[in-house]
Amino acid sequence: MPREAEPSLNERAFVVQALQEGLRVDGRAFDQYRQLELKFGEQYGVADVTLGKTRILVKVSAEVTTPYTDRPFDGIFTITTELSPMASPAFEVNRPTETEVLLSRLLEKTVRRSNALDTESLCLVAGQKCWSIRVDLHVLSHDGNLIDVSCFAVVAALRHFRKPDTSIEGGHLTVYTPAEREPVPLSWLHSPFCVTFSFYGEGEITILDANLLEEQLRVSSCTISLNRHGEICQIAKLGGTPVEAATLLQCASVALNKVKEFSTLLDQKLAEDAKRRNKGGLLAELSAENER
Amino acid sequence: MATAQSERIFVLPGDQIDPSLIPSHPKKALRLGPGLRHIPPNELVPTVAGQLVTDPRKNSIWVEYNGGRYVPTVGDLVIGTVHHSATDYFYVTLSSYTSNAILPQLAFEMATKKTRPNLNPGALVYARVCLANRHMDPELECVSPSTGKADGLGPLNGGMLFEISLGMARRLLMRKSVEEGKVVVLEELGAAGLAFETAVGRNGKIWVNSEKTKTVLLVGRAVKETDEKSLTVDQQKKLVRKLVREMS
Repeated sequence: MPREAEPSLNERAFVVQALQEGLRVDGRAFDQYRQLELKFGEQYGVADVTLGKTRILVKVSAEVTTPYTDRPFDGIFTITTELSPMASPAFEVNRPTETEVLLSRLLEKTVRRSNALDTESLCLVAGQKCWSIRVDLHVLSHDGNLIDVSCFAVVAALRHFRKPDTSIEGGHLTVYTPAEREPVPLSWLHSPFCVTFSFYGEGEITILDANLLEEQLRVSSCTISLNRHGEICQIAKLGGTPVEAATLLQCASVALNKVKEFSTLLDQKLAEDAKRRNKGGLLAELSAENER
Repeated sequence: MATAQSERIFVLPGDQIDPSLIPSHPKKALRLGPGLRHIPPNELVPTVAGQLVTDPRKNSIWVEYNGGRYVPTVGDLVIGTVHHSATDYFYVTLSSYTSNAILPQLAFEMATKKTRPNLNPGALVYARVCLANRHMDPELECVSPSTGKADGLGPLNGGMLFEISLGMARRLLMRKSVEEGKVVVLEELGAAGLAFETAVGRNGKIWVNSEKTKTVLLVGRAVKETDEKSLTVDQQKKLVRKLVREMS
């Protein structure tokens, strides 16, 4: 069974010692993220996000299905995560590790349960037809901080995604191809992002965006999900060393600043992509969508 | 490189090797290095893509490549992490996702049954590979079997371990690392007045120790950046000047 080499005692001692002296192994400041890059694919709803050496690819797809019988007015929205052996041989197919389970649950809580996507808007014919939006997340390379990058990638891909336009005439549903009618964006309510804090020592040292080595050595971690208006969707602190309440409050305010940065970056990238696609400025005329 | 040829020769796996390139020594037997496979009776086939290098004096031929996975070879100096210990052996991890190497507890300088070192799981050791067969776990030693001296091998205390590529580790371990390997970064750092010690493992690790945490980080960062961006000699000098200026 393949097994990852664990950090040695020397590395453990050194990383913590350096943190106590205010230094990080890769020379970043405590609240500094690695270089975050976002690329959209040729298709709608494909986002490729890299943060340092961590890389995540997200693909969104839509299909028409029947809604759940207990929720006839809601569409279906699922997020599936996959940590493939490509990211690290320690991940095996069809045997989810703890990391994978925690990651998918956190994304679920952050994006799905915070109602970032209005599932009612996915309903086509009540009780009979609805859109099923499926988000597939693939971890291509794992160098720490999967949660923050995954959440960013999922939100980016969903906001970039366009579903085919539809119309209903006399109970007859028509789904148009992109050539007939320009696809329409999802009805997106707010953009939550995750910010993960790692704690060291007795919980008094706090760093952002831990890489894989730092992640293996932290004594506890805390993930805060919020949008840029400061509305917190969830806070997850799963075990580990207890942390002072004052520290957590400070973390929340740091998280808000970071989320604002993420939000600006995403808006900017989306605008760039829209501009790239909108050659000749004809997209507005092609759209058959009504203003909300 | 030890080759006498003026231009570099690159091979792909399965290529035919021109017989004129294979060194022929009147007395010594031909030695095959990494990346080549002998198919009896007399065929040589490269198994990796890389530069074909020959040494006519030693009558040896091998392929230089910057591969990802470390394959132990007899005589390599490696840095391993103790995984656990049993009655007579330490089990040492050389790289991720490979089986452990064994290090006899008596293979240390001046070690007897009573004075053998006590290494906890996670301790680092600098060792030499003394047995490496294809389908067996490699065996390590921390003492020269002929002289009984450690020659710098043994447990590594303190310091920090950095991962580097295998090609970089090989360049750093060359006898003339400055002329042949084109790495001056450690020499330049030393010349800049930093006091530190290093140990390079052929399995893609470099251990750096110093009294100051900052120095360790600086040395590690300089070596890693040289490796990742494959800097030339001049760029390495520039990098060292920049890092030293930032630190002070």
